[in-house]
Amino acid sequence: MSAYHQLIKSGNQLFLAFEDITNKIMTSKYNPLYYHGALPQFYLWVLYLSGLLLFAYYIPTVDNAYLSKGLINAWTSVEYINDKIPFGAVVRGIHRYAGDAMVITILLHAIRVWFTDRYRQYRWLQWFSGIVLFLMVLFIGQTGYYLVWDERSLALTRMTVSAFEGLPLVGSFLKGWFLNGDTISNYTMSNYLFIHIGLSFSLLFGLWIHYVRMTRPVMTPPPAINYVLMALVLAFTFIFPITSGKMASLNGLPPNGFEMDWFFLAPYALLNSVPVGMYWLLMVGLTVGVCLLPMPWAFLIKQEPVHAAEVVLNKCVGCNLCYLDCPYQAIEMVPAPANSRFKLLATVMPYRCSGCGVCVGACAFDAIDLPDIPDADVQAQIKKIMEAK
Amino acid sequence: MANETKKVITLMCERSVDVSGVLGADGSVSGVDGLHVIKIPCSGMAQPLMIEAALKQGASGVVVCGCQIGDCYYREGNKMIRERLLGNRPPMLKKATDRRRVLALWLSRPQKDRFLAETKEFVKFCAELPAPEPAAPAAKPTPKPAAVASAPGETEVKKPESEKTPAEKAEKAITEAKVIDAAEPKVAGEVVDPAKVDNTKTVVPASEDSNDKDVKVVVDTPPIPEGRGSLDTTDGTSSETKSE
Repeated sequence: MSAYHQLIKSGNQLFLAFEDITNKIMTSKYNPLYYHGALPQFYLWVLYLSGLLLFAYYIPTVDNAYLSKGLINAWTSVEYINDKIPFGAVVRGIHRYAGDAMVITILLHAIRVWFTDRYRQYRWLQWFSGIVLFLMVLFIGQTGYYLVWDERSLALTRMTVSAFEGLPLVGSFLKGWFLNGDTISNYTMSNYLFIHIGLSFSLLFGLWIHYVRMTRPVMTPPPAINYVLMALVLAFTFIFPITSGKMASLNGLPPNGFEMDWFFLAPYALLNSVPVGMYWLLMVGLTVGVCLLPMPWAFLIKQEPVHAAEVVLNKCVGCNLCYLDCPYQAIEMVPAPANSRFKLLATVMPYRCSGCGVCVGACAFDAIDLPDIPDADVQAQIKKIMEAK
Repeated sequence: MANETKKVITLMCERSVDVSGVLGADGSVSGVDGLHVIKIPCSGMAQPLMIEAALKQGASGVVVCGCQIGDCYYREGNKMIRERLLGNRPPMLKKATDRRRVLALWLSRPQKDRFLAETKEFVKFCAELPAPEPAAPAAKPTPKPAAVASAPGETEVKKPESEKTPAEKAEKAITEAKVIDAAEPKVAGEVVDPAKVDNTKTVVPASEDSNDKDVKVVVDTPPIPEGRGSLDTTDGTSSETKSE
């Protein structure tokens, strides 16, 4: 057994022990570990709603957008939301902490799926799309930090620009796209807002791909869990209220440091400590490496092939039951051949099949079978046991 | 002899309780007499047909053991078989099967002790149940009694006490249902009252009804002129403001 397998095994045991405790406390019906995929989905709805409320008063500019007596820009509009709008600070806090919570729950989801060995083979698409979704969430969160337009936002903007400039060929184009021009201007802020909101909604497209091969994906935790998740966010909002730093000033001295947020800004810590070329190499290498985790050839891991279910063609009556019950959308009902008595015929898409045998349990006609353990075999075992002595 | 023949068959998910320590080569479990384990990749693979077959062949009980509900490795297998056992999902356990003889356990990998304790109790419970084969006489009702009555007298005496009541109940229910079915068309035929039939059988949706009686709104406003039209010759308001 290799070190990798040992790691997975001990991780699995850790989760089993943890599950046992949580099951004792809240029963399996309310165990959050059994809804680990639905937790970030819940926070996504919270973020959409609170973001919509913030969007009503947010002004994406660096300096006076609309003529008025005082200065009005992104920073002052955030301060206005914070101080003047009823519950503005609460909504802002919810938006921020729900984002942090989403990253935590996504990591929990990914680690659990990895340790319980539920990411390979017929599930590679879910893993792959999950990585892309996670990167999108990180980038959306970072643009959220730019939008506040305090000194940290300016520092992050400058660091991002320098990182883009370090890239060969596409560097100048990316810089131009990111700043929406050559310099930081009002257009930059509107671009940030567009990235922040536009990319948030394209998460839905990514989620569609994430869910498309799963029948009945678990997207909503039970209400009791939702209340607890919301209460956690609210507790943080009131105990540690969110505040902005000083307003960014383009003409003053550049800020020499910022408060770290490890959930979203961890890449900037890396960028700060290594040269730009090294940074991109590490980031791209890490992403590709994690994406390739389900591919056994990439890491020279041995895995047993899945023996896909097989339909017994002359027994299938086209009743749809296996098609409805298959948890991976691996069964497709096709029109039956012309000489058949029935209208439909079940066919298995072997690349989606997990070999779990739910279709065998769903079939009342013995018309679908796992090649390694046919149901006749189970019946024979029952007979053998009953006949012995 | 009587105790040895009473076997309980377990259809067990490979990924649920880890019984490798107590499992014999032939599927017997050390520590629980009469318990036999058949491993399948997922509890969702268990067909109700398998359970019925085992009971028909003389098993005193069947245990279905899957992972904790919510934690199926293959996502939904344990939920599926649970719904099938409860009769909520199509290929379901026949209603004639004795539900007392079917036990479902949802246990995670380390819960071996719980599994052994539960099954021990269940084996004991099944052994104490009166009729050894409740499904068999129901399937073949008439020809048996005369031939078999001579050999196992004791068991035959016990059978009718336990079985007649549910069987009779079922028959009664069937006859009652038939009576109702037969009665309805007669009543409808006798009383030819279209109004009554409408009230009881077909419900006209409220929306459909109100649509028919909807009052048509007649729009009585002058048509909007195409294009901009002439500013001066409208109401006189524009000319007034101009003059002021």
